[in-house]
Amino acid sequence: MTAPIEVSGSEAEAQPEAVLAGMGGKVEGRSLGQIAWMRLRRDKVAMAGGVVVILLVLMAIFAPLLTSWFGHPTSEFHQDLIDPNLQRPLHGPWHSGISGKYLLGIEPTNGRDIFSRIVYGARISLLIASLATLLSVVIGSTLGIIAGYFGGWVDTLIARAMDVFLAFPLLLFAIALAGVVQGKVFGLSGNGLRIGLLIFIIGFFNWAYIGRIIRGQTLSLREREFVDAARSMGARAPYILFRELLPNLVAPILVYSTLLIPTNILFEAALSYLGVGVNEPTPTWGGMLAQAVPIYSVDPWFMIVPGLAIFITVLAFNLFGDGLRDALDPRAR
Amino acid sequence: MVNFLLRRLLAAIALLIIVSMVTFAIFFLVPRLTGASSADLASRYVGKSAGPQAVHEVEIRLGLNRPVVVQYWDFVKGIVVGAHYDFGPSKVYCAPPCFGYSFINQTPVWPDLLDRLPVTLSLAGGAAVIWLLFGVTTGVISALKRGSAVDRVSMGVALAGVSLPIFFTGLLSLAIFRDHLQWFPGAGTYVGLTQNPATWAANLVLPWVTLAFLQGALYARLTRAGMLETMGEDYIRTARAKGLPERVVITRHALRATLTPVLTIFGIDLGTLLGGAVLTEGTFSLPGLGKFAIDSINNNDLPRVLGVVMIGAFFIVIANLVVDILYAVIDPRVRLS
Amino acid sequence: MVAVGAALALALAACGGTGGSNSGSGGNGKFNEGNTSVVNASTKTGGTLRIGTASDWDSTDPADTYYGWSWDFIRLYGRALTMFKTVPGKDGLQLVPDLAQNLGQHSADFKTWTYKLKPGVKYEDGTPVRAQDVKYDVERTLDKNTFPDGPTYFGDFLDTKGYSSPYKDKTPGKLGLKAIETPDDNTIVFHLKKAFAGFDYFAMLPATIPVPQAKDTGTNYKLHPVSTGPYKFESYTPGKQLNLVRNTNWDPSTDPNRKQLPDRIQVQIGVNADDLDNRLIAGSADMDIQGLGLGAAAAAKVQSNPNLKKNADSAATARLDYVAISSSVPPFDNVHCRKAVEYATDKQAMQTAYGGPLSGGDIATHLMMPLIPGNQDINPYPSGAGNHGDVAKAKQELQACGKPNGFSTVISARTERTKELNAALALQQGLQKVGIKTEIKKFPTGDYFKLYAGKPEYVKDNGIGLIMMSWGADWPEGFGYLQQIVDSRVIRTAGNTNLGVKDPAVDQLLDKAAVTADTTARGALWAQIDAKVMDDAYIVPFLDEKHLLYRPPTVKNAYVNQGLNGFYDYAQLGVK
Repeated sequence: MTAPIEVSGSEAEAQPEAVLAGMGGKVEGRSLGQIAWMRLRRDKVAMAGGVVVILLVLMAIFAPLLTSWFGHPTSEFHQDLIDPNLQRPLHGPWHSGISGKYLLGIEPTNGRDIFSRIVYGARISLLIASLATLLSVVIGSTLGIIAGYFGGWVDTLIARAMDVFLAFPLLLFAIALAGVVQGKVFGLSGNGLRIGLLIFIIGFFNWAYIGRIIRGQTLSLREREFVDAARSMGARAPYILFRELLPNLVAPILVYSTLLIPTNILFEAALSYLGVGVNEPTPTWGGMLAQAVPIYSVDPWFMIVPGLAIFITVLAFNLFGDGLRDALDPRAR
Repeated sequence: MVNFLLRRLLAAIALLIIVSMVTFAIFFLVPRLTGASSADLASRYVGKSAGPQAVHEVEIRLGLNRPVVVQYWDFVKGIVVGAHYDFGPSKVYCAPPCFGYSFINQTPVWPDLLDRLPVTLSLAGGAAVIWLLFGVTTGVISALKRGSAVDRVSMGVALAGVSLPIFFTGLLSLAIFRDHLQWFPGAGTYVGLTQNPATWAANLVLPWVTLAFLQGALYARLTRAGMLETMGEDYIRTARAKGLPERVVITRHALRATLTPVLTIFGIDLGTLLGGAVLTEGTFSLPGLGKFAIDSINNNDLPRVLGVVMIGAFFIVIANLVVDILYAVIDPRVRLS
Repeated sequence: MVAVGAALALALAACGGTGGSNSGSGGNGKFNEGNTSVVNASTKTGGTLRIGTASDWDSTDPADTYYGWSWDFIRLYGRALTMFKTVPGKDGLQLVPDLAQNLGQHSADFKTWTYKLKPGVKYEDGTPVRAQDVKYDVERTLDKNTFPDGPTYFGDFLDTKGYSSPYKDKTPGKLGLKAIETPDDNTIVFHLKKAFAGFDYFAMLPATIPVPQAKDTGTNYKLHPVSTGPYKFESYTPGKQLNLVRNTNWDPSTDPNRKQLPDRIQVQIGVNADDLDNRLIAGSADMDIQGLGLGAAAAAKVQSNPNLKKNADSAATARLDYVAISSSVPPFDNVHCRKAVEYATDKQAMQTAYGGPLSGGDIATHLMMPLIPGNQDINPYPSGAGNHGDVAKAKQELQACGKPNGFSTVISARTERTKELNAALALQQGLQKVGIKTEIKKFPTGDYFKLYAGKPEYVKDNGIGLIMMSWGADWPEGFGYLQQIVDSRVIRTAGNTNLGVKDPAVDQLLDKAAVTADTTARGALWAQIDAKVMDDAYIVPFLDEKHLLYRPPTVKNAYVNQGLNGFYDYAQLGVK
């Protein structure tokens, strides 16, 4: 799942739909969760992914502890370890500055501790990716269910809105928007504003993908007996939507969310890489990569570390997400 | 059929109009929401030490002080019938389709967009051929040999492919193949196809492969998933039961059913890329639409940003339209819906 | 992760950037030789000079250009009344006549300046150059709507009486500006509204390059300015390519200051900066016309390889990188809080951020630099051991300011300027040591002065106390360097480059210098202004910029022209 980064989100459109197609009907209350968990536990690769995800989350949460034990404050300079003319670290293999005190080396020019910046970078990455995912899922599911259940002009309106969103060159738009918004907006400024803005951009422009899928699922669900039954017993729309339909949509929403997070991690990294992400000196992985660009051809280390951090994180989420999808969908096995 | 085509075309046009309105509104309203006045916007287009009078003149001449709706209408009118710009001694006529005028660079936007298009076309086109070929083939083979070593390895590589940020693989490939091994010394310089086809291709190999790796990985996963699902369908079982040879079952039935949705997505992906492969072009410093967009955003050149976003949306909508029509041709039932 | 990364790094760094660098081994220059003498001198003609630039001109029109490299390059196709002497070293700071026969003759009150044109100077089409054409181009520069980019000195000093543009001029020949007289075809007289002893510097500006009115096409003139120099436009596609060929109507006997060696000059526009560096090193390009010096990767490559380093010059420029302190933003209304910043600044870190001693520059302790005549080396706020900041002194000043525990403020910097952002980070961590907490805000480069840092109202409303700033002299002399950043009377509602120096004493000294003809006495006045501004602690200078320039062995006659602010002299280059 690697949607809107240079890609229109092809998987987002097709794959979950294709894979989940047979799923809605087979969702049967409590047994599903247990079966899925059993399946998931047997999938060693997915479990490994899950473990890495948990470790990453722990790393983000305990970043202050980790850096105080093994590193240095993220914005502390160590220029005594830098060659003033060549601007690269004086010591360590590949001019990386790696030593017992600096586990992953130090940045060229200012000598900041790369280990600490990677650890703290996980915070921004995971925070923005997960909150943006939450935003897309909330908007997408709500509108998807409403469109699918009510049909008619409501459906037409929402479906057209989805078309409009899907027709936006997403990345271009995000960069432009992130660049245009300056100074103070809605009382937010500085990094509070940047983080809020990124969550909004990434989350808001992605809702249409999940919206489409949930709408499709709802369309097929609403013709089922249990919905008919509820309707004939006089249940009102909100009750049917949230008590009858929503529980049956939990599985696709869950799978989709898990697969959307890595996409959003890549998205955030891309925006930071392009210089419209969170401001320095707050460390971000994309920003670290961008800083390494001027010297990557002579000192590739500084590009490799943040690049691998992004890769490992995204891979872990993808592995876990794939596993979860397989576990929840009996036919994919 | 004509009726269907007309309906689709109208829908596509309506979609484009809405996208243009939203884009226009955002780029012209957001700066104001954040406290910039139209005089502030105008001051971007005058020299270092222009007085308030000069700023005001520019503000009026560019129509920045008029309501957004009027400015939008002028923009649309420009696309259809062209526009005139008056710069004192020289008057500029911006022929249709006039996608605005960059006051910072003093050039109409449209010719600049056209100028960048071949680069993006070369990049997206070349990469598309590679990824479609490799992605789909890998996906099909993986599906057929499900669980085998081939399947595991290729799906592992594909998963890595979709998990790598393209700017990282791009830089890595440049570091390895250009700087270290010196195989493609010209990577990072665009030479026109008509200028020198050999150099054109040699310089584009790295960007093609980098972009195709990410996309191919996606398509391999997609194709495999689609193929597996199709193989489980009843009609495939029926075909097998009829005693058709496996080869025929796969090529005639399974593959066709799998590839139709893949092609849909391909159309949309290509559309998106044609609107600017921002990250790839940025990393390889290819002067295409994506690079153009980034540069324009950095210069705060709003007319250019607007133009490039519109072109991007245009390609996506067109790709959708083409896919819709192709579908209707393949499957008559669609026309009725 | 460490293991994978290590494997990758090992594979990549095995021959750490030395690949393909042998091509630079030819030639016989020495490191920094171009700063003091002409390297690879040659008088052979022929060949093509291959130039690259990362970004396009602001304009190639003499009325509309303000880039330093453009003022250097424009001398290939345009001759102004005066120019800087084309020799290496200090002598390059002298003005010599170009179109004019002599430097300007002035009236006793420095308000009237007269120049006589050399006879026999022709345009590329063979028609003779007239004094009226010089006047016409100056008139064009006054039209800021058509030509927004050029400097405004003529508009500020000429007694224009409301004259705004030759394009609105109804008089025949469009020469209605009364402040310039042309009694005959060879004489031009400028009438100023305020006295100015350094007018010969104005006469050096591209604004005095003649433009024949009949050939003027307004904003399109930049596509083919009519040449008076040794080269003329063959073709120009903005954003892509500019080709110059020999101008056969250029007569070297009227022009001792230029050479006409290559047959063609090709400028490729929009080349990626790192790519251009690599091409210079590989010898497939001859010159980076922007003259900003090598990028980080190439600079590291060149400095660590003696074979390449001998082709490089660390050229001094008249550009100062500094932090402007907003005296309108509390607590910087108190001089002691300003002085606390002066002392606390970690100049060493900021120097490294800019690229170190060779490709960044020398640590600055005051406004002027050795390139500016009259420069006095003063250091009113010594920044401690190793230039890492004097914490004790800074704390003392904080005490005196009534903020013993420090305070919070905002630093502004420009988004696309990596070095400036790095320097802001260095500033931030230096100030942190004495308890001054800062937040760095990035702003788009193009709007920095017009909408943000140069707009006093915005600065005040957003509490931007410290403004990252970089200022290059328009020409290396006190007026061209200082006036725009210290004269309080130039402060407007927006678009300022004086970001907070408000001192009547400084203004008075500026006026005095304007009417001092003797260059030594004038230099002393500039030094006095420098000391005064430093004393008030409005500005924290940290770097006298140097650029690590590269001259491939393919290039002949390369030297750094000090009068042109430390660019190679493009009017001398050859390739044979």
